[in-house]
Amino acid sequence: MFSAEVRWLSSMRDPPIRDGSCGKPQRMSEADDKKAEIDRALAALEAAFPARFVGAETEQALRDENAKILGKKGELSAILKELGRVAPEARKAIGEAANAVKAKVEAGFEARLREIAMRKRDAELNARPFDLTLPARIPAPRGHRHPISIVREELVEIFRSMGFAVFDGPDIDTEENNFGKLGYPPDHPATDMQDTFYTDKGHLLRSHTSNIQIRAMSTMKPPFAFIAPGTVFRRDDDMTHSPMFHQIEAFLVDEHVTLAHLRGVLSEFAARLFGDGTPVRLRPSYFPFVEPGAEVDLGCPFCKDEKTGKRLGCGVCKHTGFIEIMGCGMIHPTVFEACGIDPEKYSGFALGLGLERTAMVRYGIPNLRMMFENDPRFLSQF
Amino acid sequence: MLASYNWLKELCPGLTLSPSEVADKLTGAGIEVEGQKPYGAPDECIVVKVLAMRPHPTKSGLRLVTVDTGAAQQEIVCGAPNVPEPGGLVVLAPLGTHLPAKNMTIGKRDIGGIPSEGMLCSDSELGLSEESDGIIILDQGTRGQRFTELVPNDVIFEIGLTPNRPDGLGHIGLARELAALVGIHWKPPFVVETEGRDTIELLSAKVTVEDGARCPVYAAAGAINVKVGPSPAWARYRLESLGVRAISNVVDVTNLVMLETGHPMHAFDYDHVQDAHIIVRRALETDAMKTLDGVTRELSEDDLLICDGRGPVALAGVMGGADSEIGNDTTRVLFECAYFDPRGVRRTARRHGLHTESSHRFERGVDWDDHAYVLARAVDLTSRLSPGTKALAGHIVVHGEPLSRKVIRLRHAKIRALLGIDVPMAEALATLTRLGCVVHSSSAGNDTEADVQAPSHRPDLLREVDLIEEVIRVRGIDTVPAELPAVRPTRDVGGREAAFSRVREAAVSLGLSEAVTFAFTTKESLAKLHAPTPSVTLKNPLSELQAVMRTSMLVGLIDALGNARRHGERSARLFTVGNTYEARGTASELRESADNLPVETARFAALLAGDSPAYLQKARPVDVWDALGIAEEMVFRVTGARADLRRDKTFAHLHPRGSAAIYVHDTLVGRVGPLHPDVLEAFDLGSDVVVVELDVMPLARAQPVRCAPLPRFPKNTRDIALVVSDDVPAGDVLRGVKKAAGELCEEVSLFDRFTGESIPKDHASLAFRVVYRSKDKTLTDAEVDAVHTRVIAEISAAFGTTLRA
Repeated sequence: MFSAEVRWLSSMRDPPIRDGSCGKPQRMSEADDKKAEIDRALAALEAAFPARFVGAETEQALRDENAKILGKKGELSAILKELGRVAPEARKAIGEAANAVKAKVEAGFEARLREIAMRKRDAELNARPFDLTLPARIPAPRGHRHPISIVREELVEIFRSMGFAVFDGPDIDTEENNFGKLGYPPDHPATDMQDTFYTDKGHLLRSHTSNIQIRAMSTMKPPFAFIAPGTVFRRDDDMTHSPMFHQIEAFLVDEHVTLAHLRGVLSEFAARLFGDGTPVRLRPSYFPFVEPGAEVDLGCPFCKDEKTGKRLGCGVCKHTGFIEIMGCGMIHPTVFEACGIDPEKYSGFALGLGLERTAMVRYGIPNLRMMFENDPRFLSQF
Repeated sequence: MLASYNWLKELCPGLTLSPSEVADKLTGAGIEVEGQKPYGAPDECIVVKVLAMRPHPTKSGLRLVTVDTGAAQQEIVCGAPNVPEPGGLVVLAPLGTHLPAKNMTIGKRDIGGIPSEGMLCSDSELGLSEESDGIIILDQGTRGQRFTELVPNDVIFEIGLTPNRPDGLGHIGLARELAALVGIHWKPPFVVETEGRDTIELLSAKVTVEDGARCPVYAAAGAINVKVGPSPAWARYRLESLGVRAISNVVDVTNLVMLETGHPMHAFDYDHVQDAHIIVRRALETDAMKTLDGVTRELSEDDLLICDGRGPVALAGVMGGADSEIGNDTTRVLFECAYFDPRGVRRTARRHGLHTESSHRFERGVDWDDHAYVLARAVDLTSRLSPGTKALAGHIVVHGEPLSRKVIRLRHAKIRALLGIDVPMAEALATLTRLGCVVHSSSAGNDTEADVQAPSHRPDLLREVDLIEEVIRVRGIDTVPAELPAVRPTRDVGGREAAFSRVREAAVSLGLSEAVTFAFTTKESLAKLHAPTPSVTLKNPLSELQAVMRTSMLVGLIDALGNARRHGERSARLFTVGNTYEARGTASELRESADNLPVETARFAALLAGDSPAYLQKARPVDVWDALGIAEEMVFRVTGARADLRRDKTFAHLHPRGSAAIYVHDTLVGRVGPLHPDVLEAFDLGSDVVVVELDVMPLARAQPVRCAPLPRFPKNTRDIALVVSDDVPAGDVLRGVKKAAGELCEEVSLFDRFTGESIPKDHASLAFRVVYRSKDKTLTDAEVDAVHTRVIAEISAAFGTTLRA
């Protein structure tokens, strides 16, 4: 609007040039009086506006005051209405003077506007502080993964990043896949270690995730590296056993796989799970589907002396400095043969661990049963 | 298996390791020592001689016993019923002795006015046995002698043996192992030569093995002039220390020999063996027998029996019969040492619910070629535990199906190939030799390979890898260095794990907590939920509560809610993932699985109960719209697709007013709604429970998002408030608005729903925001107004709506 007015002012300069009356001044003194009057009015306006602006306490009052001066029907316009009666040669000077006054008013308005805004901001900044002790408004209620799942996904991630892929298998499988092809002889005490649930159709609830080894090796040609996290079942129900629990199995089959490779993967696994340099200890043990077979102890992460790296002993590791965590071994040639893989050409390793045990160690869960009661007071801790 | 440190030292005279070091060695080689505990009496206890005895003057049942400690005489108050006559030797715990077994220290006591300084001790008071009938009466010793000189302190190892190592079930096997690990020698106990004496022929016993497959070896030896009685102290305490009750010298012999050699034995009263004939055969239908434990056994044709001329006298390898037991009047003993087929013994033991020291060992496979030593040792021990016994030389042996020592080719290259380290062939062969293998001269005449004969005590050595394991086990499996393998990239098979993981992530982001729920449940619970009738039933469930495989994921969540509500927690926001199980029914399903395994369907279920979370305001009970929110967001967060919820009253477990089917791209993927009041009542759940159930695998097939260009022209928005009868679904009106608005309409949303006050009864005011936008130009108000006016007219015609003033 303001710029339009300036255009209007400049257009006022032109008509006298086209006007034929140029050089024929009429009633000179009246024109001079008018000019003086306008000059006085402009001077008065210029002198008065700062005080008027200061008198405006709010943004709205200021804008109103500003409109009174510069608006279409404002005081400046009113003054300039008389311009036509001023001698044409004086009009330019008045126009320039008016523009100067307008610019000053405009600047004064902007300054006062900023001042009012700053004062308002100061008042807001210095008002009573918010009560930060009120509870935070959470965007959505908090959800919790089960500790078994946290550990499960963590372990899957560790093995995935080492190049292993996930192989799914059923919870209910054949005796052949769960025992037979893994080298468990019928009527052998080895099956005592895993008291098994059978279904009325003669299948069984898998007693370990090792059935996945058989499923992979029976259907795929090496090389491959798989992990199999899953639910397993055994007929045991007491303070330290649940009839349903979870394991993760990892196995790698290729040409020239050695026990040293198994150890390499175990060391890397230990480092990623419990931190760099976590020691790995193997103790020979027996699982029918591996030979040699071993139990794996990892250096306790809870009583490690950061300076020396020594384990000082604590309740978690029963003061041994080591945590018994999994079983492993080189895949038995009998297993390869049962799956139609030539044990002279291929070798491989397998390892398995219990997710409940890992979660108990990791989170200091005192009691296995807590993991199956789904008490919200327990779940909400993770 | 309990093992004695002292006994191992006797067998390995060069052993200098402490008990803890022995435990570490064995554990490091796979013979896991799970614990060790001291065995023995306190050092202060001494042997004293009874001099005199008189009744307590005031307390009946107590006696005052005067004993000679060698240094002095003192009177002790004693309550035991078996104080021996003067001259007898008993054990005194003097003043100040601490008895850990009873957690007491002997102090000065006044019993009925008589001071007593010390205690005459029983086995249990000294911690030497679990229970005892009276004080210890010694058959040897001298006044003042330390009792621990007679019964030396020992350390007992508790060993957890893996089932492949039956040789570790005897001290000789453990000694052999320990000697190999430490690099020392071991020797079997000395057996007195019986040559030149009367032989077993004297008994003219006859052995017949009718089932040679189940009984490959049956051997027997004998002793006569036996006098049954208690064993001497050393034998009794050795048995007690290993958790075996001392019974009588003859029975103790069989147990000592078993603990020494790992080979279970049986002792028959020869005079009770009808016709002097031992017959090993399978049970006949007419057979019946009563075992030592007093139970009359129904026999199966698969049971192997030891019989005499009359009938069964023992369940072979499992338990003896009551009739041929050694009695106090036994004088002629026949010892059995046999090798029974492990699988057969196991079947019999399981069938009869018996697990004995004997069956435990036979199941795992005892040494099949040690009968000569075992029998000679038993006969020799008998003559020592029962002085006057006449040990008969030699033994009878009958062989069934022949067993042989397996010869295994060991290749040096294979050791490296399996272990990844180089073990010199000489070291490998030396290790195997120390463990009892016999190395045949290598066929290639160099050290690249050798033929190794496995010993009869190691049934687990069957293949080359078994030998290699022995080599690395003894060398120390921990000496293998770590080396990372090159892993060739492999792809996932199945995809269930990744799908579960995404579902979990979405559920947790929606404020749900994960429950881990059992895959088995009860038929009744599933029936209460109107879930499909379970078709996978367990044959041997632990309890009726876990008898069938679930067909609904809700059972576990309902259990969890029940528990929470019992703890006083009304609200819950839970989810679970897992499988449901149904037997394969249709022909096409059968084709998919040659094994006819059940169909396992990956599922998700969520349960909201109680109140919805609210910020500083009154809590609001969860309702069906909370459930719809979970359903829609789960689908969107997992797949990126919009869920299509369609009212569906066919789900019997859901409230008919609020149940809906969930579709994604026209595929049914789940259902949602409040639980039916009948279900709430059946599970005693109270109110305010809504659930969402989803199939996981259809969700896993998410399409990647296609990125759309951003709009180039501004939108033009109009709000309308429509008053409509409240039986008209808001969604229908919304879809109607959208349809009427045509292609200029970008989005319609319901932003307010209002009833009451100025709104007529049974009506609701629905406020929609309609966003108009053209792909090609900026819409003018006039253009939008034209469309919008038409929309209002069409909607009012279609739904009888009126514009709200």
